[in-house]
Amino acid sequence: MGTLGRAIYTVGKWIRGSGQALDRVGSLLQGSHRFEEHLSRHRTLMNVFDKSPLVDKDVFVAPSASVLGDVQIGKGSSIWYGCVLRGDVNNISVGSGTNIQDNSLVHVAKTNLGGKVSPTTIGDNVTVGHSAVIHGCTVEDDAFVGMGATLLDGVVVEKHAMVAAGSIVKENTRIPSGEVWGGNPAKFMRKLTDEEIAYISKSAENYINLAHIHAAENSKSFDEIEVERALRKKYARKDEDYDSMLGIVRETPAELILPDNVLPEKTTTRVPTTHY
Amino acid sequence: MATSIARFSRRGVASSLIRRCFAAEAALATHTDPPKPKLTVSPSPSPDRVKWDYRGQRQIIPLGQWLPKVAVDAYVAPNAVLAGQVTVWDGSSVWNGAVLRGDLNKITLGFCSNVQERCVVHAAWSSPTGLPAETLIDRYVTVGAYSLLRSCTIEPECIIGQHSILMEGSLVETRSILEAGSVVPPGRRIPSGELWGGNPARFIRTLTNEETLEIPKLAVAINHLSGDYFSEFLPYSTVYLEVEKFKRSLGITV
Repeated sequence: MGTLGRAIYTVGKWIRGSGQALDRVGSLLQGSHRFEEHLSRHRTLMNVFDKSPLVDKDVFVAPSASVLGDVQIGKGSSIWYGCVLRGDVNNISVGSGTNIQDNSLVHVAKTNLGGKVSPTTIGDNVTVGHSAVIHGCTVEDDAFVGMGATLLDGVVVEKHAMVAAGSIVKENTRIPSGEVWGGNPAKFMRKLTDEEIAYISKSAENYINLAHIHAAENSKSFDEIEVERALRKKYARKDEDYDSMLGIVRETPAELILPDNVLPEKTTTRVPTTHY
Repeated sequence: MATSIARFSRRGVASSLIRRCFAAEAALATHTDPPKPKLTVSPSPSPDRVKWDYRGQRQIIPLGQWLPKVAVDAYVAPNAVLAGQVTVWDGSSVWNGAVLRGDLNKITLGFCSNVQERCVVHAAWSSPTGLPAETLIDRYVTVGAYSLLRSCTIEPECIIGQHSILMEGSLVETRSILEAGSVVPPGRRIPSGELWGGNPARFIRTLTNEETLEIPKLAVAINHLSGDYFSEFLPYSTVYLEVEKFKRSLGITV
């Protein structure tokens, strides 16, 4: 049986070898238009000459994010997919428990029209929504920057303040504590209720938990991914409702269970409309 | 166990940084460092963190039991990220840099729809309207570049302009068009057959019948375009040959 297995393995290897040879013939036929794949050269954490990012061990940095230059990220924060934190001309410091959601851009200014330049500081437990653009600003602790917001140079978002989605905050605007500013250019809209302020802190906490899951998933080795794929395929056909009708209780393997703190709470609390 | 082997190999080959990348890959899988007390404000970096992963970002990221499902003729750009409960139906396309994060709730991209470059589609746990907070993009919908969709429902045959922001619970009814840069507040409804735009989105005018007929044609045109892109890619990547060459050059057994 050993020799049969070995023979089949060798035949498989021949078939793969001939497949690769055929691939080379096809590339030759395609000539100059052929495409050769290369390894991904994307560098998640990259030095810009002597400035290197200082990222805490608990931080989730998505592989497609770019953290470049003089950036400091504190414990428990998360930098989601596609973000760019460019600390090349000045420095960026992100506090702990903050989340910078997908496709956002955090940059700093070296010079600007006013002449006064400050590094970008994002405090603790801040939620920066999807695709936000933060350029040379200070965002203090427990603030909320809505998705798609653009914060220009010198903006200060104070604690417990909210920048509504899609707003464009002009240079050197100061957004006072406990208020919602929005629109283009951003103006005062209304004050935040206490419920909403509590919601901001809760949302930062939720994101910390979510980041752990994504971090675990993105750092899996190839073998682990394959094992889980096989497990998932096996458990795809098993429907819990059907099984409970038959009185069968199946155990989902531990790898496929998400931790409880990510799933919605059983007691439904009314979610306040926070963004406006 | 993998961590300890990685640590041994790291101590032995302390010189090569690239080697550490391969070894640290396995070490990253288990964060077994005991929680250190927070003495100073400055972050304490982990020696195991890789600065460069030769694998890049995976396109499809399963979370727990959820696996993003992509139809066989749908084009998903290699730098798009699909995570969690995402279903991309036939003929649709997800373009470069888009992020479809179905980690809290479901995301569905209907037949012949397209999510253009750099969009972020997310779903919240719950929507202010009380309805299910999944993001549902129905058939023949064109979502313009750089849009942000969060827990919204887009009915069949719509056009969402570029850089528009649709917030939780918003509903865009069939055959309506949103202008570029429009921001739809939470829970708003864009009625059928109308053109809305602005921040916040306001009524501009109703659409003529000819314009309404153009909407699915745009979606189909982008579908044809995505077919060109789809045919650029081989069914399986051949990058594993590069990896084997690379590993062999570093002396790591393949």
